[in-house]
Amino acid sequence: MAIVIETQDLTRVYKSYQKPEGFTNSLKGFFKRQYQHKVALDKTTLQIESGQIVGLVGANGAGKTTLLKMLSGLVTPSGGDARVLGYRPWERKNEFLRQISILLGQKNQLWWDISPADSYSLLARVYDLDPQAARKRVEHLAEMLQCTHVLHTQLRRLSLGERMKMEIIGALLHEPQVLFLDEPTIGLDIVAQETIREFLDQYVKEKAPTIILTSHYMDDIAKLADKLLLISKGHIVYQGTVPEFVAKSNSELAENEEVDFEEVIRRFLETESRVR
Amino acid sequence: MKKSFAVFWKRNLAFAKLAIVSNLEYRLNYFVDAVLQPTLTTGIEILLWFAVFRGAATTEIAGFSREYYLAYALWGAFFARICTSWMYEFRMIQEIDSGSINAILTRPMTYYEYYFSQLMGYKFITTIVSMVIPLLAIAIFNLPTKFERLPLAFALEFYYLILVHSISFVIAASAFYLNKIYSFTGAKNLALWLLTGELFPLDLMPEPIRSLVIALPFSSGVYVPVGYLTGRLEIATVWQSFLSVTAGIVIVNAFGAILWKKGLKAYTGTGA
Repeated sequence: MAIVIETQDLTRVYKSYQKPEGFTNSLKGFFKRQYQHKVALDKTTLQIESGQIVGLVGANGAGKTTLLKMLSGLVTPSGGDARVLGYRPWERKNEFLRQISILLGQKNQLWWDISPADSYSLLARVYDLDPQAARKRVEHLAEMLQCTHVLHTQLRRLSLGERMKMEIIGALLHEPQVLFLDEPTIGLDIVAQETIREFLDQYVKEKAPTIILTSHYMDDIAKLADKLLLISKGHIVYQGTVPEFVAKSNSELAENEEVDFEEVIRRFLETESRVR
Repeated sequence: MKKSFAVFWKRNLAFAKLAIVSNLEYRLNYFVDAVLQPTLTTGIEILLWFAVFRGAATTEIAGFSREYYLAYALWGAFFARICTSWMYEFRMIQEIDSGSINAILTRPMTYYEYYFSQLMGYKFITTIVSMVIPLLAIAIFNLPTKFERLPLAFALEFYYLILVHSISFVIAASAFYLNKIYSFTGAKNLALWLLTGELFPLDLMPEPIRSLVIALPFSSGVYVPVGYLTGRLEIATVWQSFLSVTAGIVIVNAFGAILWKKGLKAYTGTGA
């Protein structure tokens, strides 16, 4: 299988202003600022094959979203290199952007003041899609997600779950080859989570895109991912398949102990975090 | 090449329509913005010049009669509204400050064109709607206006909007480094209030400031198109203004491109 995503020593350092609390320190900071440099991702090297669904798992601040942002071209690395579909993402070439999509679960990507149907017409223009074909595709995806009834309601008036379904349709409208999903089920109730999971599962079987998925819900990862990437404090600490990881972890546990996938991951990351 | 231009054109037409569709979602707000506000501004300006002439007890100031000043005030208020973009500039800054720019950066479009087309679309429609106010006032007060000069005055105004948007782009791009830069917009608008000629006709300024301010591209926002329309200026000044706006666009965009490139390198993809 062809390599679609590869990184070599990919690094990102963030610089942030540090201010001790209090009025006097605010005044001092007005004239002289102190900055802290934090390594969000450290010399990460990885390869992802075409059609794979990769679950990217780690604690808050581990570097998952930073990695996604760099691979989708949102953030420029401080060091190292990366290629997605043969392009350097942060150069943001239109040919590259037409083939990818990023869904940020905590951020709206559609237009707040208009209906999703209007947003999709606009996206069809942005991606240079045939308007008729785009409309059909929207109908098809909306049926799969059971949300046809809200297509003409202003986005701001929809519930979180409905909005997320609309965002998913928007992200898939142009049939991206590479899809970055950052916590697509965050904040949703169990039913909505399950609907989205099933939808993604079905979509992947139909279109076989390459997906990098981050989620704090291990059910998302266990159900969808072929490959697991565990990340801790900016380092990839495990790369392999989900069954391999579970088998490896179980062999290291006490004989009479039985733990589920989520527990295995939690323990692994805790150990890694202590080591680093 | 032909195909890519067609794609670009259709995409930008869609952005322009987006501006109109979004604004029409909030009818009352649009009515206030397109009709009530210009009516109020026009009323205030006319009252002001009535008061100035009555207080001065004169029939002419700097060689022009009261009617010329009333016509200037009327069209000045109208053109000044076209050439301000504080609303879009505010949104452009907010987009970078809040990180909602992510949706633009990961799609095959540019931030500059996205907001430029929206600005043009909104201004185009609002200009047509708001125009009824100066036309009515001109008819009621019988004020001097050379209507055959309207197309060129509008051409200059909309050309000047490219510069207006480019300045907004530069200010917004600074948000990559500074985050909260809304005060820049306020300060810039105050300066432009004077430099465009919205506050008063620029020829009332003493020399050499007068020549300098008129030579700057900002006079193309109000003073030149309104002066031309009301017979205060002739066509040579309009052509000069086209040139100075062109120079302004080149300089501001060159600066904007550098700022944007550096800004993106510093950007952290805020908020996600």
